[in-house]
Amino acid sequence: MKPRVAVIQFPGVNCEYETQRALNAAGLDAEVFRWNLDVGRLSSFDAFLLPGGFSYQDRVRAGAIAAKDSVVQEVALQADRGKPVLGICNGAQVLVEAGMVPGLSPGRVEMALGPNRTDGRSGYLCEWVFLKAVEPGRAAFTCAMREGQVVPLPIAHAEGRFVTRSPGTLEALEKERLPRLLYCSQSGEVATAYPSNPNGSVLSAAAVSNRKGNVMAMMPHPERAAWLSQVPDRITGAWGQARLEARGDRTRMSQPGPGRVVFESLLQYLK
Amino acid sequence: MDVEVETLSIIGRADDLVAEELRGHGLRLTVAEARHLARLIGRNPTKVEATIFDIMWSEHCSYKSSRHLLKEHLPTEARNVVLGPGEDAGIIKLCEHEGESFCLVVAHESHNHPSQVMPFEGAATGIGGIVRDVYCMGADVCAVMDALRFGDPHGPHKNKVREVASGVVSGIWQYGNALGVANMGGDVCFDACYDENCLVNVIAMGVVKEREIVRSRVPAAAARERYELILFGKPTDASGFGGAAFASDVLDSDELSESKAAVQVPDPFLKRILAEANKKMLELVHSRGLEIGFKDLGAGGIACATSEIAAAGGFGALIDLSKVPVETPKAGGELPPEVVVCSETQERFVLAVPSSVTGEILHIYNEEYELPHIYHGARAVAIGSVTTDGVYRIVTGAGREAASGGGFVLGGAASAGRGRVVSEGLGQGGSRDAQATAAQRLLCDVKADVITSGITIRRESRVAECQECEPRFAPPKDLGEFLLELLGSPNGASRWPIFSFYDCEVGGRTVIRPGDADAGVFAPLPGSPVGVAVSVDGAPAYGKISQYWAGAHAVAESMRNVACVGATPRALSDCLNFGSPEDPDVFHGFEETLRGVGDAARRICQVDRTDPSSAEPVPIVTGNVSFYNQTATGKAVAASPIVACYGVMEDYSKAVTMGLKRPGSLLFLIGRRYDELGGSLYYERLLGCVGRNVPLVRFGVERSAIRLVLGAIDRGLLEACHDVSSGGVAVTLSEMCMAGRDSCGAGVDLTGVAGIPNGAGSDGDSGAARSAGVAWTGGLRYDRKLFSESPGFVVEVASQNVNDLSKLAAETGVKLFRLGAVLNEPVLRARDNGKTVLEATVGDIRKVWSRGLEHALA
Repeated sequence: MKPRVAVIQFPGVNCEYETQRALNAAGLDAEVFRWNLDVGRLSSFDAFLLPGGFSYQDRVRAGAIAAKDSVVQEVALQADRGKPVLGICNGAQVLVEAGMVPGLSPGRVEMALGPNRTDGRSGYLCEWVFLKAVEPGRAAFTCAMREGQVVPLPIAHAEGRFVTRSPGTLEALEKERLPRLLYCSQSGEVATAYPSNPNGSVLSAAAVSNRKGNVMAMMPHPERAAWLSQVPDRITGAWGQARLEARGDRTRMSQPGPGRVVFESLLQYLK
Repeated sequence: MDVEVETLSIIGRADDLVAEELRGHGLRLTVAEARHLARLIGRNPTKVEATIFDIMWSEHCSYKSSRHLLKEHLPTEARNVVLGPGEDAGIIKLCEHEGESFCLVVAHESHNHPSQVMPFEGAATGIGGIVRDVYCMGADVCAVMDALRFGDPHGPHKNKVREVASGVVSGIWQYGNALGVANMGGDVCFDACYDENCLVNVIAMGVVKEREIVRSRVPAAAARERYELILFGKPTDASGFGGAAFASDVLDSDELSESKAAVQVPDPFLKRILAEANKKMLELVHSRGLEIGFKDLGAGGIACATSEIAAAGGFGALIDLSKVPVETPKAGGELPPEVVVCSETQERFVLAVPSSVTGEILHIYNEEYELPHIYHGARAVAIGSVTTDGVYRIVTGAGREAASGGGFVLGGAASAGRGRVVSEGLGQGGSRDAQATAAQRLLCDVKADVITSGITIRRESRVAECQECEPRFAPPKDLGEFLLELLGSPNGASRWPIFSFYDCEVGGRTVIRPGDADAGVFAPLPGSPVGVAVSVDGAPAYGKISQYWAGAHAVAESMRNVACVGATPRALSDCLNFGSPEDPDVFHGFEETLRGVGDAARRICQVDRTDPSSAEPVPIVTGNVSFYNQTATGKAVAASPIVACYGVMEDYSKAVTMGLKRPGSLLFLIGRRYDELGGSLYYERLLGCVGRNVPLVRFGVERSAIRLVLGAIDRGLLEACHDVSSGGVAVTLSEMCMAGRDSCGAGVDLTGVAGIPNGAGSDGDSGAARSAGVAWTGGLRYDRKLFSESPGFVVEVASQNVNDLSKLAAETGVKLFRLGAVLNEPVLRARDNGKTVLEATVGDIRKVWSRGLEHALA
């Protein structure tokens, strides 16, 4: 039996179907779970995915309303029992707003995802960036990656800048080496400035996990990079080159892209 | 309360009194049109009826000036057309996949006036409206795209222009990104002729199984079975009331506040949920094999949508206004009935369904997707039923106090002598329940097809001679420096500062992002190798010289762009943006443009690999005409045909981007250089003039070139491909360098690329089309070779493929010009007759090009 993943559909979410396809392609059994279905059914799933979009119209703040939703409360309970939960983009905003990431003092909101702000460009940005894995082996959604591995992924958000007011939180992230994805250059140097760090995120964080490694808030969209055909051929490095070389080869073009590893990690973690 | 039904007094009154009456009611109908209406229905119209006709007979809805000409000039039929113009969207066959025939659904229209008055809301509702047109064909929307025309961001109206431009871009991304539909880019141009009239043309694309196409008409089954009309979405409010009439007149700054009320209010969040619920509804409908009608609410709101859906099926309808969920005005009071029936409140649809499933369908919207909880006042409600007598009636529930006698009272209390009792039965099969209600107040009682059949006006047309002439000038001293100036200018710079706000990858279908190639490419069906490529084009300056060639170019360029990635042009849509049709010069330009669009679509024609002799036109399957893009003082936009081309490729893995790939590979030019700089970016930046020698589209040459490029990409012979258009070969090469690997550059030699003006063998090159060409002197000056906008392509070819490409070129009868090679040095260098004529580093080019637009918009 394939592990079952619930892709939570809040009103206003808009990446649920491609996320479902990417999960299924990695060998999982994903189902879109509408916000008003019976919450009791959630416990029958092995993992949860909060996809991108604009849940509840981003009213109050991005992710703020969904974070209070009974579905998320149930997902948090399941996470406490160790089940993996990934929030992508708006889903990441929900997990941070719900205090599940970084979750140092469980239930407390310790970080926020602020508006993109850099010297080069502020506001919404849809572009490809490079990411480097930190302690990937300890997290459910990166465990198939190597330490320091660099992958290109696309971002598409207006509020993706991880921020916190508490120096303790930053210290803990660094000191405890919580699993993360960091914005970096193509060669893997961690980036603090635009364009490699596209939003001014603190500690260059693009994705942050909790201590246990089972919950992760990820701003980039791995589901938009789940197949090689989704990678632009202008991307420098091995992935862009692979896409170039796959031109005219249907089979190669439908091979996994750089984002597939996130979903493969989940499968590996659940096995 | 006994509501008086307001009726206009037209019959038997003098013209000036009628005019005054119409104005008093805020109607734009002319006196002649009002009299025509009274004759048609045989009495004075109620205010609701007059309001409906005011909208339906507006230029925006009736195409009264243009309809006959569209029919005359535009090819709309081809074997791959499933549904041509006439409904909300056009449909062509796409492919067979998993034993099913799939179709591509496309819609294209303008949202110009609203975007000028309220840029954010106008542009957002433009996207909102165009996706509804695709959804209501039963399709899943995959992508949107827009063509934007703004004024001069450095000119006398720069503040307003920049405000409009940034508002429009925000409206597009904030709506489209939230809705979750990928934006494939489109194009953006700046020209002073749009200073006070921006153009916002929007395009949406979707896919549907051929057997699950839903039409915007009540199905024939309604003759045997009771059908109900379900309205769903946002509660009706006063927003957008008068929108169609507003779009059918010039913008007058004195009426600004009134105009703002005519702009609708967007809500992508609600739209996303409606789209999800629609999928569920369609699943139910298809699983039961039911026939339904489905239409979006646009211009004219409830009245137009319900009368059109009924009339299209040959039916009538009975609408009970008291059933319509209404958002009561904040100021208190009630919305007048003509506002409820005709306001253009966004995010609404209407369905015609068998009454046996009404309950289940309402359940999907109201319970499963919780519309009333998601959005205050939103819900799905049955507001009426289909009737078989062909009459379209609107009643108010307020009249339920009811006269005896079982009839309807039209125009107020019968005893007042102004109304009339309708006692003939309504219920020949369609409206038994309606009949059961004693007497109700009738607000509208007109044959549905009378409402929808429209009117025609023959406009005066007058040939306006182009006053522009060709300049005499010396080339700039340092062409490299000048190239940087040109590439940093609003029309030369990278579109990335705008495109990067658009979510171009949501949905996960995107194969080539906007800006990486001449067309955006997406794979609409997961698991299928079929790709769809789209491009939208139209050069503003060409329309100032020759409206015919402006039309032909818009078609040719969009086809060329789609071919550049390797997709075969399969359909076109057009949006024709003009000034007032009441101006004979403007109207003549409109006719000329139509001829150009039609000729290009017919003569470049579809490429059929299995049958090279086939000459089917590329069909124009949808579009619109937008007149009155001019100011109250009579300043009209240049003739602005904007054409989108939809290309299909059997295997998107073969798609090619524009960036240079490999140092050492060779560069070829397809398409001779002529002295054709009229309307060019070069003249604009160097001389600030338009010139006269507008590029021609040599239809036969264009057709062969497209065939060659498609054949070459299909065989994997091209590494990169980019068309030659705005800015000429110089800009084409610059863009190929910048889109390429950091280390790549280009070295070219232009000796020998010039053609003889009006030369032999150049099909379609009619000498009569130009009268002021510069005399042929046996060659073309190097700057003209570099910046001439004669159509063409530049292709990158690996050296081992050169022989195959040459062979293919010979077979298709296309002359290939060897330009040079891709350099392992980031520099662009051009030589002509033994001299270096242009040199610039790719780094310098990139610096000005990538941020040029930021300076224009900031």
